[in-house]
Parts: sequence; structure tokens; C-alpha cells
Amino acid sequence: MPRGQKSKLRARERRSQARGETQGLEGPETTAEAPAGAAAVAAGESPSPACPLSGDRAQTLSAAATSSSPQAAKGRSSPASAGAAVSCANSGESAKSQDEGSQQSSKGTEFSRRDPLNKKVVLLVQFLLQKYQKKEPVTRADMLKYVIKKYKYHFSEILKRASEHMELAFGIDVKEVDPIRHCYALLSKLDLSVDGTMREEENTPKTGILMIVLGVIFMQGNCAQEEEVWEVLNLMGVYSDKKHFIYGEPKKIITEDLVQLKYLEYRQVPNSDPPRYEFLWGPRAHAETSKMRVLEFLAKVHDIVPSAFPAWYEEALRDEEERARARAAARARITAMASARARAMASSSSHTK
Amino acid sequence: MEEGRAERRRRTEAPSCTQGGARRAGIMTDVHRRFLQLLMTHGVLEERGVRRLQKHCYRVHGRTAAVEELEDFINNINSVLESLYIEIKKGATEDDGRPVYALVNLATTPVSKMASDFAENELDLFRKALELIIDSETGFASSTNILNLVDQLKGKKMRKKEAEQVLQKFVQNKWLIEKEGEFTLHSRAILEMEQYIRETYPDAVKTCNICHGLLIQGQSCETCGIRMHLPCVAKYFRSAPEPRCPHCNDYWPHEIPEVFNPDKEREAGTSKANKKPSRSRQH
Repeated sequence: MPRGQKSKLRARERRSQARGETQGLEGPETTAEAPAGAAAVAAGESPSPACPLSGDRAQTLSAAATSSSPQAAKGRSSPASAGAAVSCANSGESAKSQDEGSQQSSKGTEFSRRDPLNKKVVLLVQFLLQKYQKKEPVTRADMLKYVIKKYKYHFSEILKRASEHMELAFGIDVKEVDPIRHCYALLSKLDLSVDGTMREEENTPKTGILMIVLGVIFMQGNCAQEEEVWEVLNLMGVYSDKKHFIYGEPKKIITEDLVQLKYLEYRQVPNSDPPRYEFLWGPRAHAETSKMRVLEFLAKVHDIVPSAFPAWYEEALRDEEERARARAAARARITAMASARARAMASSSSHTK
Repeated sequence: MEEGRAERRRRTEAPSCTQGGARRAGIMTDVHRRFLQLLMTHGVLEERGVRRLQKHCYRVHGRTAAVEELEDFINNINSVLESLYIEIKKGATEDDGRPVYALVNLATTPVSKMASDFAENELDLFRKALELIIDSETGFASSTNILNLVDQLKGKKMRKKEAEQVLQKFVQNKWLIEKEGEFTLHSRAILEMEQYIRETYPDAVKTCNICHGLLIQGQSCETCGIRMHLPCVAKYFRSAPEPRCPHCNDYWPHEIPEVFNPDKEREAGTSKANKKPSRSRQH
């Protein structure tokens, strides 16, 4: 959409200001700062310096918006302003400079007067999704600090609405597992053990050289001599003493960098003289990938299927089963804990929500 | 004023009309929910993988017949996610035009997705790399140039060696692509951050003359300076005997890349996952 002159000017201003600040790329540590900015934005007043969404975006959102679900329709008149308000709230709270002119559209102020809770619900859903992805529990303290902030007296309402969205749209339950410390677990209502390798773990080592080395280690019975690793890498044109056009210094990568990152373990073979070295999977490899994944990677490289390596395939399958069992057990434990507490709470007449 | 939970669930699953008949509200079932959960784990996924994911979700829930057309399937989901300012966005890889999908947040500063995974100084490193990439002529920023900015980073002091590893982390998390010591944006970053980039760098940002989308890598006309994505060039000049710039009509000086043909890929079957030489794929 073509931008008007004013909008272009404002954007240019914003950009030159942004050059000197941490605009938008704030970590969660800094969102607690600049409460003044947050208050101003929430109250519908002007300055929202680092608001990347304005003007065109607001228009695009309104064009696309439909009020299908009741949660959405609840008190929300102008979805465009919701977008602008949400983003401005988020970035305004994190930006350090307060003296830029008003960029927030007037629609944004109108919106916050009608249902300011809704934008917090949206932000909380996104926050919870991130926590879910990282398999981390969430505390009420975290939610208040990073998302809810000045709306802390509406915490229950905001959490309730966010939980409904999580359940309806994503099939994720938000369960309070510790009512004393107000700690919540995010659990999928769907049985995930059937997904196998359809699910990609975040931060999986995908780098080819690592996968190859993990594969060699696996195939050598979970511990590989350094010579064996180089034999395989040499077949791919990767040598310990030659600079590689993609990997750079392969020897350094596998014996130092990947070890430092805890993907590999590199140790001297006990009692070897002259010293020889061997590789094992590092704790991070165990956490972030699996034997099945590594096998699939190797199969793809060789243009075959994992079951073409029957012995390793079996071991990988067993590994998958174990992982699935562990996940299910963990889920069951948490669910049992949660329902036990819920029952305990219900029977006593105290109200925790 | 408060509606019952059951009622809300029913509403979300029933189709309803929207103003102007714009889009029919989606029907959200466990098939869609599972799809969303799985898609989230990937960050960004190629269309081929997305289709596999869709089929898998139908199969798990015992509905093998009538797998909905992918576009409708995704539109259904998006209409339910709309009120959350989240959507499944479709884009294409810049080097060979493969369609990719990502679940993006529309309403927050998009790098908030990165913000929870990286420290302040790491995010600033990304921002510096992003600026170099956008300002560059080729869409690539050299590792050296990025690392030279390490002293200017906010937050805890970072050494160049650490910064190298952080850059690799960005590659692993699909925010950057590395090719021969130079970095450009991954299609995930482009999908998630296009709006943020346009707003933050309105003067430096480049756009494609054909599709008008954000352009990081592409070809440009040496006479009038307009730019086009490689897949857009391929499509535009397909079977043109003499390629000419659509703007100034001068002879187009670059080699015309091949069009990505999804049907040809499917015919060839699963043999050789990557038909083309892996030029700019991360390893």
C-alpha cells in the first residue's frame, strides 16, 4: 500500500532514532523497564517511539479482519487498532527513548479504552506458546512481569481467556500444578507420541557435519574412534588438514566448537599411548536430537530409507519408544498432580483463582 | 456476559458468516490443532513437508478420506487464529522459489520470537547483521564485517569467537543462511520480519519489481536499477527469447535461473531430496 508523506517522514525519523537504540530487538530482561511509556500507551496517550507497526499495517489488519469468534468480537471494534495497540504496547514498554512524537494512530487509543484486556490476552497467548515450545513451566510471576504488567489485578481474567484460546486453537492445556508458587504447566491435549519425527525439535542440530559425526558414533556402537570419523568425512571430501569451502576448519569444528556447544564429547582413549581420541554424543545431542533423526538424515544422504540399516533401525526404534514412554510418564505425573490439587482445592472452600 | 466454555467451543467450530462475506470462519478440529502444534516446532517448513504434515494429521485422527486442499486447510486455520494476531504465512525461498510456510505473530515486534531465545547482546548482533544485509548490494553480509561490529554491541561484552558461534546459532535456528562465509536472511526471517524490516528501514529496503515483496537477494537491471527475485526473474522470463527489463526495456544482463516446478519434483519422487546443487542451503 502506498504510504503518505507524513507516514514516510515519521518512519524516517523513527529509523534514525532507532539507529541509536535497541529498537524492537529487546530481550525479555528489558521489557520491565520504561513503565512510564507503558502507562502512557495503555492509557491511550501519544508517545510510542519504537512502534514498528502503524499506518499501513493498521489498514491491512482491518481489511483482513473478521469477527468470527466471540472472544474476538468481545469488545473489539477495530481490529486494526488492536494490532497497532498491541505492538505499540510491546515496543513502547521496551524502548528507552520517550521523546519522539506520537506515531500511534488515534484508532489505537480508541481501542484501548474499549477492551484493553484483549491485547494482553493476545500477548499472553504468544508468550505461553513460546514457553510451550521451550517445554518450560510458567509462573504467575513471569506472566505478570513480562506480559500483564499494570493489568495485574485482571490476571485471572486474562489468563482464563488466554487459556481458552490455547485450548481451542492449539489443543494446549494450561494447568496450575503448584497453587502455592503459582506455577503452571503447558500440556498438549493431543497424544504426541504418535507424531514421531513429524515434529522437529527446536534448535536441532541440523548442521550436516554434526549429523554425520553423530551418525558415525551411533553406528560404531555409540562410541567412535577419531580415525573412524575421519574415514567417513574423507569420503565426503572433508579433511582434517584442509580448509573446507563450507565448513572452514573441520577439525576445529568437531574437536572444539561442537564439543564446547556440548553436542559432542571428545576424549582420549584411556591408556592410549601415543594418545588416540574417541567421540561420543554430547548431552545436548541427546537432548535435542535422537538416533532415529540421525538415521533418517543419513538415509536421506544416501538416498535410501532408514530401515535399510536393520540393526540400527531397530535400536533407533527402541530409542523412540523409550522417549515416548518417558514423555507420557511425565505428562501423566503432571496431570495427576494437577487434578489432585484441583480436587483438594475444590473440597476445601478456598478460592485460588 | 460470560459465556460457557462449551458454547465457545461450539462457536469456534461452527462456520459463520463475516461482514461482507469476506471469509468463512474455519472449523477447528484436532486435525488442525495437531497440525499447528507440529508446524510450530519447525519454525518454517517447505510446502512438501507441510503437505506431509497435513496428511499425517488426518491419518492420526483416522480421517484418510477427503484431505482438504492445502490452501483451504490453511485458510480455515488462519481465520480462527486471526483474533490472536497469528497466521500461517506463505512465502518462497529467495534462491530457488520453493514455497515455504511459517507460523508468524502479526501484532508484536516479530523479533520477540527471537527475544526469548537470545541474550541482549546476541539480539543486537542479529540486528547489526540484519542492517548490513539490508544495506548490501548482494543481500549478503560477510562474516568479517559482522564480527567487526562486535565492540558496538549492547549488553555484555562479546568476543569475536563467541560471536562466530552466535551466528551459527542463528543459522541453526533458521534466522540466517550461511554461504561461503557470508550471511543472508533465511526465508523464516523474511516471513516473520518483513513488516518490521519495511517499517524500520524504509529507505534501504529493496523490493521486487514483479511481486513487490521484500527483496534481499535478487538480480538488478544495470540501467535503471530495478530489482527482481530470482524465482520472479525465472517466471517472468520463462521462454522469453530475448529477456528485457520490464521497466526500461534494456537487455537483461543476467543469466535467467530455472523455475521451481513442484510437479516435476513430485514426479521425480523422493529420490535425491535436493535436485539442485545445494548452493545456499545451510549445512
